[in-house]
Amino acid sequence: MAASGGRQRLADAVKQVTNSNFADALKQLRAHVDQADFVAVSCRKTGDCASASSRHPWRRVLPIDTPEIAYLKAKFAAESYEILQFAVCPFSLKGSKVIAFPFNFNLFPRDRLNLGMPSYSFSCQTSFLTSMVHEGFDFNACIYDGISYSSRVQESMDKERNCSPHIQTPHSSSTTSVVDSIFKSRTKSRIELWLSASKNSNSKTDGDLLMSLRKFILGTELYGTRPSMRIDVCSDRQVQLVLQTVSRISDHIVPLLIPDKSGQPRAVHVVLTSSEEDKSILMSEIQNLEDEHNLKVRGFREVIDVISSSNKPIIGYNCLHDFTFIHSKFVGPLPLTFSEFMCSLRLVFTNILDINHLSKEIGALRKAKSLSSALSYLKRQFSVPIDIELPAEDEDCTTKAHGHNVLQITHLFAILRTLLKLFPNGIAKEQYIETIEDYLNILYPSHTRIQESDEEDLSFIMENGRAISTNDLIFLWGYGHLTAKELKHSLQEAHDVFKEDFELQFMDKSCAVILFYRAGSAQVLLELMASRMFYSDGLSKMKSEGLKAAGYQCYKKVCRLGLWDTNLSDSLENVMSDPANGISTFSEKDASEVRWTSEYAIDLSDL
Amino acid sequence: MRNLPCVWVRFRTLTLGLAPRLRLFSTDATGGGSVAVKQVTRSNFDAALEGLRACVEESDFVAVDLEMTGVTSAPWRESFEFDRSDVRYLKLKDSAEKFAVLQFGVCPFRWEPSKGSFFAHPHNFYIFPRKELPLHGPSDDFLWQTTSIDFLANYQFDFNACIYEGISYLSREQEGEALKGLSSAYLEGLANSFCNFEEPVEIPIARTSDILFSERMKNKLREWHDSIFRSPDKGYIDKEDAGSNNSQFQTVFFKMRPAIMLNGFTSHQLKLIQLVVKKHFNDLMYVRVVDEDNSWQRRVVYVDTNEDKTLLMKDVLEDLRKNAEKRIKSAVGFRHVVDLLESAGKLIIGHNCLLDLAHIYNKFFGPLPSSLTEFAQAVHEKFPHIVDTKHLLNSNQAIQFLMKKNSKSLSSAFSLLCPNVSSNFQTASKSYLRFEVQTDETSSSCFNSGTKHEAGYDAFMTGCVFAQACSLMGVKFDVGSPSCDLARNAKINKYINVLYPSWSSGTVVHLDTGTEYLDPNYKRRYLPVNFANTTLIWGFPAKLKPQDLKECISKVFGLDSVRSVFFIDRTSALIQFSKEEFVQKFLALKNSLEDNHDLVSVLHPLSKLLEGGNTRAADYDTYRDICAGSASKVLFADQADSLGITWKTKVCAGMQDTDDVCGRETAEDGGPLAKHSSGKKNDCKRQSKHQSSYEEIIGSLFASKTLLGRAT
Repeated sequence: MAASGGRQRLADAVKQVTNSNFADALKQLRAHVDQADFVAVSCRKTGDCASASSRHPWRRVLPIDTPEIAYLKAKFAAESYEILQFAVCPFSLKGSKVIAFPFNFNLFPRDRLNLGMPSYSFSCQTSFLTSMVHEGFDFNACIYDGISYSSRVQESMDKERNCSPHIQTPHSSSTTSVVDSIFKSRTKSRIELWLSASKNSNSKTDGDLLMSLRKFILGTELYGTRPSMRIDVCSDRQVQLVLQTVSRISDHIVPLLIPDKSGQPRAVHVVLTSSEEDKSILMSEIQNLEDEHNLKVRGFREVIDVISSSNKPIIGYNCLHDFTFIHSKFVGPLPLTFSEFMCSLRLVFTNILDINHLSKEIGALRKAKSLSSALSYLKRQFSVPIDIELPAEDEDCTTKAHGHNVLQITHLFAILRTLLKLFPNGIAKEQYIETIEDYLNILYPSHTRIQESDEEDLSFIMENGRAISTNDLIFLWGYGHLTAKELKHSLQEAHDVFKEDFELQFMDKSCAVILFYRAGSAQVLLELMASRMFYSDGLSKMKSEGLKAAGYQCYKKVCRLGLWDTNLSDSLENVMSDPANGISTFSEKDASEVRWTSEYAIDLSDL
Repeated sequence: MRNLPCVWVRFRTLTLGLAPRLRLFSTDATGGGSVAVKQVTRSNFDAALEGLRACVEESDFVAVDLEMTGVTSAPWRESFEFDRSDVRYLKLKDSAEKFAVLQFGVCPFRWEPSKGSFFAHPHNFYIFPRKELPLHGPSDDFLWQTTSIDFLANYQFDFNACIYEGISYLSREQEGEALKGLSSAYLEGLANSFCNFEEPVEIPIARTSDILFSERMKNKLREWHDSIFRSPDKGYIDKEDAGSNNSQFQTVFFKMRPAIMLNGFTSHQLKLIQLVVKKHFNDLMYVRVVDEDNSWQRRVVYVDTNEDKTLLMKDVLEDLRKNAEKRIKSAVGFRHVVDLLESAGKLIIGHNCLLDLAHIYNKFFGPLPSSLTEFAQAVHEKFPHIVDTKHLLNSNQAIQFLMKKNSKSLSSAFSLLCPNVSSNFQTASKSYLRFEVQTDETSSSCFNSGTKHEAGYDAFMTGCVFAQACSLMGVKFDVGSPSCDLARNAKINKYINVLYPSWSSGTVVHLDTGTEYLDPNYKRRYLPVNFANTTLIWGFPAKLKPQDLKECISKVFGLDSVRSVFFIDRTSALIQFSKEEFVQKFLALKNSLEDNHDLVSVLHPLSKLLEGGNTRAADYDTYRDICAGSASKVLFADQADSLGITWKTKVCAGMQDTDDVCGRETAEDGGPLAKHSSGKKNDCKRQSKHQSSYEEIIGSLFASKTLLGRAT
């Protein structure tokens, strides 16, 4: 049993990886992932949309958000914040025993090439950093020795720019102009002159002066130990011409393209090899250099690629948040819609199992707000003996251990597996995926809190709200400085539509959302607000004082356009004032079901 | 084609060197000398503040320097030669608002006539915008620029010291708000929610466990309540009884009244207890108070009468207020140092300090004003005498001659002007001033020898450079008080309150008047830009080069129509025309081309620019408006999107005539008005744009999959 008191011991077994031991750790990880049945992942970020951003609380994922909006909010967070730690734990199941190999990678987005890659700047929430302080996080280790990375899209962009010397195959020749043939014949004569000179210079009697003169005039240099010559070029066309010329002169010459910083061709180095074997040696040398460069560019992303190519089921907690981060940092820019995101994500990770989704099978766990509270609830309620076997502790590991989250995920999964009888006895490893297929690739937008508390008692937490239609939600702003009670009261006075019962919550300092119990009331209100008629009722008075209203579609549009940086009222106003969308008065045809609960209400006194 | 106007291409690497805080490492400069710099974190802040106060009081001038988490929040926010004065200020403001200050160096200098040398007291404060108060304080989010962090790491910056032990702060405005909040509504709110005066909680007790718990608590409270009455002395608690109570029910005294501490309950249970107390006990009160170590304590207190109840309420509220005030005062934190600098009114010395001042104003006074003039005046009001050594070095002939072609970076100026300090170079020459760094030997543990780009050491270097420059200008320190009043010294007067602009406009900022002047000491690196002739385009295909842009526009408006093309980033540019009318003509033409999808518009020379259907165009003011936006997307085009710009071409009211010719509806109120294309079309364009980018993503995924296959 891994009791909670054993967390420190468990965490000690997590292998801490930084730049200095990355290459070794990667090798080990690759072997372990190969052996494992599952891979658990979890990451530590500099901020998250789930936490309290005091200036823009409406950016949090709220129960009234559709999965689409939850995704857009997660996307915004993933684009602003960074991952500082990434924990990976390949594990396999043997009866009640779990054999796990946890790793914790420290990351830091180093902009080595000054290109704004992997990131130009990133945001930090002080509350996140403060909670990391409580865990004894070593920021110096992370910044000084964190592993950098680039996403797949960034890598292919880097390839395109291709700043390192490389070999290019010549295209089949097209029509040549007079200028081209002059250039070709000049290049040809230069190369031939150089060839004969380098064949004759074996005597090595040339003085230093002569050598440097030759270097200056002819552009001859040494590439490694081989003689080479530099031919300056100024366009791709000229590169092609040089390549064609070289291929006609000799088989033993290898042309190397040298680009400048912006990826434009600057020169071609022609390297002379002594024989066919020598040529293949040179080619493999160049290939090795390129591989080395690629490894440096990819950095930590190698780990993602290892997990991705293994096709093992990936277990995560709060997957929507984690995988938007993973996609935006290690795969490429996040698509605009949730479905495209899922599509793109599945190309990289075929089987993702969100443990939040799996936990829904056990009623009480639905309400668990954090990993540790779910785990401690299960340990208390059910006695499931789980034995986690970990590799021996690293003796020379002196840094404070982190990344125990990933072990908790592993543990939780092991318990759930037993409780839900996911894998009946005698089932072959190959069938694991089949049996959990129903749970796979469903990312569950959840409204988690950042501060995890162990003391949280699940039996005291209210039900998760009730289902409502987005058509019954209206956003209101421009009411001045009123408390929720006052606003509700003055609305009730203002018009008959508010005589029916309704509920009201604040989205931020400037904007409130209203839930009508009676279907259609929302529509009535929107029409009232849109009409230019002036009545003597209170609503018209409030309108003249600046009260505005918008339906759920406007809110959706705000999120889709990504107008995150202002108060919600300003963003809604921005969307409404655009005559291009006459949507404010009409409710959607495709209303979605969301949840309403007072539990996640934004407490304005917190702001 | 001979008299081509030159086309300016911007090279990223070049402009990065111009970024104000990223002073380039120059090889001729030495690293840190052996100067004891006092390191101040929150553990020794109070003592250090008192020590510093004394030093500042008797100092002749104080040098300051800041280290922050970054300088520019996006590549296009770097300062360009195409930035008008208001745009440059917007970029400065953005930087000061988004990034945090990590170190604040303060170094008071005092002339000691008896020794003929300066006494310096370099202090290096670690600061971090930790939230000390729940409601007020520095904003929760701040930005890190990866290159800046790498840069600091190269100079062994201690991030742990900063984040763990950094001193927090409140700006003057935040403190004001916090205190105002205390006075009225806040405390009433506290009173209502923490004492059982009014409706405290309304939770339906539905669960059996809740009912059981409430009942149990009721019995326990009743038992305890009765036990007070049983004993003649109300304070006396039967020992046996006390022992039988479980640890959750400790009897204590609270303000001379018997009370129980409520320990070890969950917040839900506490709510239930609160409800029970309110419902069943008239003479018990549930109160929440703050104890010594700033954590909340819940108690149930026995009160005799209703008057006693009010009295207790008042007492509790008073305690809360006092405690809150104390917490606000301690949350002010590092701002005490800035207050000290302001009230002392000494001459402030900084090196390239415009950005530093913007940070100081934004972090410790209040939000930055919207214009440079207002900002300069606001700073001038707080700090009436400021000298920028960067400007001093650049504009004084004698020093220029001495420094020859050397870099004007702080460290190279320091090693050149003060070789005796920077490298312990022993000299008998009288021309070098002597500096002595003073330490109080009692706390030697918090000193370390300064290193370059540590704020405390940089402040020390700045002060030394200033003093040496003064001496070179013939300022005598030891003749007595009149010339020692440096702020009024005639020789340095013309350098006071003139700031090096840290941008390539060739102007300096005069703080006392809040205006910018062209300064003859700075060479303009670029020809002046006529902003009225300039148009902004963005969202065009990334493969276009400046030369392509110029060519395709010249084909329409004539060979000499384009004066210069400036690339903001790879998909956005500013184009300066030779005549103002071309701007409007260009915008109108673009607009009409996009509305007609006939053969003419496809074959039009401008179609190259409009390829992809996402090319937007507007006037120079839109460039300013986009720079004013609070987001910081890496690409300028994305930044424009984040402001919710949905139109494609901004046609100004002045162009109504041309508009009519094109058969367009005209602007409504005469002011500049954005021209909107219909929403549907717009939306589908957006869609198609992102569709293609999405395909690109997938394409590259497959590409790297094959790469991967090869690697393994």
